[in-house]
Amino acid sequence: MAKPPKQAPQANLFALLKPYRGMVVALFVLTVLGNGLNLIIPLLIARGIDAYTKNGTVATMLYIEFFAAAFFVFIFTYLQSIVQTYASERVARDLRAELSAKISRQSYAYIQTTNPAKLLTNLTGDIDSVKLFVSQVIVSMISSVLMIVGASVLLISIDWKLALVVLTIIPIIGTVFFVIFGKVRTLFKSAREVIDWLNKVINESILGAALIRVLNSQTAEHEKFVKANAQAKDVGMKILSMFAAMIPIVTFVSNLATLTILALGGYLVISDQMTIGGLAAFNNYLFLLIFPIFILGFMSNIMAQAQASYARVREILDTPETAPRGTYSATLKGDVAFKDVTLIYGEKPVVKDVSFDVPAGTRTAIIGPTAAGKTQLLHLLTGLITPTSGTITYDGRDINDYNPTSLHAQIGFVFQDSIIFNMSIRENIAFNTKVTEEAMRKAIETAELSDFIETLPEKLDTVVSERGASLSGGQKQRVMLARALALEPKVLLLDDFTARVDSQTEQKILANVRANYPGITLISVTQKISSIEEYNQIVLLMEGEILATGTHEELLKTSPEYVQIFDSQRSTSHYELHAE
Amino acid sequence: MNYTLNKAAQPGQKTSAVDAFKKLWPLLAEEKRVLAFAAIAIGVNSGLTLVTPLVVGHAIDTFIVTKQFGGVLASSGILLGMYLVILVAQYLQTTLMGGVGQRTLFRLRNAVFNKLQELPVAFFNANRAGDLISRINNDTDKLNQFFSQSLMQFLGNAFVMLGAGVFLIALNPKLGGAALIPAFLTLLLTQLTSGWVKQRNAKSMKALGGMSGEIQESLANFKVIIAFDRRDYFRERFAEANKENYDTSVRAGIANNIFTPIYQMAQSMAQLIVLAFGIALIASGNLSIGLLVSYLAYINNFYNPMRQLAAFWANYQTALAGWDRIAEILSLETDLQPTTTEARSSSSLLEFRDVAFHYTEGKDVIHDLNFTLERGKTYALVGPTGGGKTTTASLMARLFDPTSGTVFLDGKDIRAYSSAERTKKVGFILQEPFLFNGTVRDNVVYSNEALANVSSAELEKQLKDMGLSELLVRFDKGLDTPASSGDGMSLGQKQLIAFIRAMLRKPELLILDEATANIDTITEQLLEDVLDKLPAETTRVVIAHRLNTIETADEIFFVNGGSLTRAGSLQDAVDMLLHGKRAS
Repeated sequence: MAKPPKQAPQANLFALLKPYRGMVVALFVLTVLGNGLNLIIPLLIARGIDAYTKNGTVATMLYIEFFAAAFFVFIFTYLQSIVQTYASERVARDLRAELSAKISRQSYAYIQTTNPAKLLTNLTGDIDSVKLFVSQVIVSMISSVLMIVGASVLLISIDWKLALVVLTIIPIIGTVFFVIFGKVRTLFKSAREVIDWLNKVINESILGAALIRVLNSQTAEHEKFVKANAQAKDVGMKILSMFAAMIPIVTFVSNLATLTILALGGYLVISDQMTIGGLAAFNNYLFLLIFPIFILGFMSNIMAQAQASYARVREILDTPETAPRGTYSATLKGDVAFKDVTLIYGEKPVVKDVSFDVPAGTRTAIIGPTAAGKTQLLHLLTGLITPTSGTITYDGRDINDYNPTSLHAQIGFVFQDSIIFNMSIRENIAFNTKVTEEAMRKAIETAELSDFIETLPEKLDTVVSERGASLSGGQKQRVMLARALALEPKVLLLDDFTARVDSQTEQKILANVRANYPGITLISVTQKISSIEEYNQIVLLMEGEILATGTHEELLKTSPEYVQIFDSQRSTSHYELHAE
Repeated sequence: MNYTLNKAAQPGQKTSAVDAFKKLWPLLAEEKRVLAFAAIAIGVNSGLTLVTPLVVGHAIDTFIVTKQFGGVLASSGILLGMYLVILVAQYLQTTLMGGVGQRTLFRLRNAVFNKLQELPVAFFNANRAGDLISRINNDTDKLNQFFSQSLMQFLGNAFVMLGAGVFLIALNPKLGGAALIPAFLTLLLTQLTSGWVKQRNAKSMKALGGMSGEIQESLANFKVIIAFDRRDYFRERFAEANKENYDTSVRAGIANNIFTPIYQMAQSMAQLIVLAFGIALIASGNLSIGLLVSYLAYINNFYNPMRQLAAFWANYQTALAGWDRIAEILSLETDLQPTTTEARSSSSLLEFRDVAFHYTEGKDVIHDLNFTLERGKTYALVGPTGGGKTTTASLMARLFDPTSGTVFLDGKDIRAYSSAERTKKVGFILQEPFLFNGTVRDNVVYSNEALANVSSAELEKQLKDMGLSELLVRFDKGLDTPASSGDGMSLGQKQLIAFIRAMLRKPELLILDEATANIDTITEQLLEDVLDKLPAETTRVVIAHRLNTIETADEIFFVNGGSLTRAGSLQDAVDMLLHGKRAS
């Protein structure tokens, strides 16, 4: 029978049970009591038959004993099933909580590299498999071993010669299980991989539903799915063929035991070395012996799977947490600086040697072509990612010195992509719990959302659906701005905020920001030169490097690339100028 | 149609075993022949399994009691023969039934996936991705466990149990009848409680779906959680879902586990009855000792499978609850069927006639929309956010149907086209770009029949001819750059891929819904060049906030508050934007 691999002691399933010692002990006691009593029942039957053949009557006391035994078996197994349910669900719940707490402390980079889909499987499938271990394996193992030992002892006590012959089936069946389950285990591994693949296709077809409909690629998606599904079926068939070979052989071997009891036991009775009652009991105990062997075989399999799952969970739990956290907290003035910052993804530098200062209360724009590394600069400023080399400072202090809670409470970040949670508008905007009602109202006013919110059926308490399907692109963008402003930040980071909002609303909103949040430091990634001409500084970024920095006027004189971008937008700017 | 799943928990309707089998039958119908063979194998196996104790009992009575060892050996020989037949029958039974299970699961998954592909965008807007994923992964897996493991044992056990029951009655009706009383009582109990058990399982699955939705949402939006210092958000929301899952699972677990002890008790009671009653019968000369031994074995043959059935019953209830959740999806019908409305001809490429639209039970998002789009012209839709631009565009691509009025595409009601014809004519670059896992190449040729089997050189030539190659410079490994829907690429890059993908399809009507909003203006000029190279008869609809994207438009529509106004010139449009009232 398979033993848990003893490599990493921290992935020991049994160690996981330590905090639940009480329940495990209760399980053990209840299982021993229930099964022990259960073993007595065939003995009582044998006593009854023998008493009758000898005396022609059976004492009523025997029936009472029988009933009492059955009744207590019921009580013990019932209690056992309740304890078992609580124990397994509690282990699963606590392990999930521990895992989620761990994940929640990890860095953004960690989540991206480990892949959210895999973490979802860890939190659901893997934990379920550990749960199955607790709910099924522990009790079954205890009771099976107990039953096998008990039944063996009883068999030997009735007739040791016959018993020894019958008991040879244990090693035979054990070997069959060992060989087949060894093979099945590798198949289970490939089954898991196929299921992962299947899930990926399903996930894409759900998240990309709109695109698939626009391109009419439902058939293509279906074909992809059928391919994965067919593979899943093939693996399933292979596993099946293993079981189809194993089950009949194991049954046959145990049937041979019955045959032995009849032939050899018959001989023993005929030669007066055994009673008929003893023979009947032998027959009864045989079942008590075989059933647990089967169970043990299947349980060893569940246990191996749980072991593998737990090792995966453990791996996440044991990952060191990212970068030691700083403890410095202070109210920011709002000076921000990049000093020789380089960021390398794989081999490719995304940001190269970037240095610039943003004095408190000033406005800086970052412009540049698609994939120039603009968003990465903002991510670096929030500490979402850490630079490969170089430093980022706030008020002259390294970002790593700051307590992240205090720092994040003072930096408002409006992401480029719409991230709306499946909860009320109020909760979406006052996402950080420290946000006051007043600060939220001000943010809503500033983001020009009041009119829109007024039209909603339950105003601020209207629940918006996941991915914000009920909001327009611009509305989502403004909710996200309000979310950032509700922090009353000292530094506001805008990532292409203007892309989905019309110029008029944009200008109004930016004017609101300046009026309602005086002294705020603004760093804005944008494409639109017309709205940044007044800014104190414009940083032109290309392929991760700074090409030029300066004001609009300066760049027009010094940077041909800037002029090129300016020209690309110029044809329409007179309209916009006129509009102002 | 309302596509919202998880409406309200249905009241715990009881499903009898027969009804339940009826529900699952359509999935199995195709396997009739195999099932018939399997039934024969199961019959042989179970029948022989039942007869063997009789042989043992007979041998005890006739040969052991009378001390004829030769007879014992002969009986042993017969028994060995029977065991060999059982060996073969059991192999066939496992292979055949297991095969049925695997194939049924295969068909079921395909059916669910197929349905998912049929359903319109509205369905995906109405349900959380995490919950859908959980239904398809976890709930089909419950059915998987049932089909691949339990069903066979279920049928085998049911067979053995019934056979043993018949034997018990046939051998001695009085003793048999008495032995079956506990079984009858427990079956009655099971039947009465099964609705309750199923409901508890359904609740637990719903909680699991909710939890998986919560995880999905939080992990996908992790950067906001970090940047707003709400790591506790994930913990708290998850803790709540975890608690809900725990509570419902414990309830389901207790409901599922209550049966084992009850069935065990029933078995012991039956043995007690047989022992007491049997000995009385022997005393009155109506039963032999050997037969009593066989009877006790039959009790086990009847009650052991019944106990197993109890375990499977819980499994079965779980599978049924899973099946209900899947059937809920399968029963949805898309309301975007092609219709055969008579063609009221319209000479323009696209015409909106009295179109109004509202989302499920909402107020009109769009009303009284009347306009036409001519071939070869470029139209711009401008207006404040939330004014109805995207909804108008979605109606052009029939992502939704108007609640009243008609959209005509190329002279015919848009609903009269098959989706293949329609999507060939209409290209729509969505506001939120989506990429499939793979490379940039995989994504740009995605679902493009013309390019499906084209060599790299040929594809590159086509890209070059259309002026698209220059855009690939934005990707470090060109066409071979890995792509995914996650945060690996910038939004601008994703938009570029979506743009190339749409261009390569050469649609007659091309809709760009803020398709270039996050692309820099220099690259955007390249896109303009590409658009200029499109065949002269291509109609373009551009939704944008940046004015330079729309200045080349032949006509500008100002969309606000769900209605549309024709702007005479760009200047007009700017004025409307400045002075027009914001949406609603």
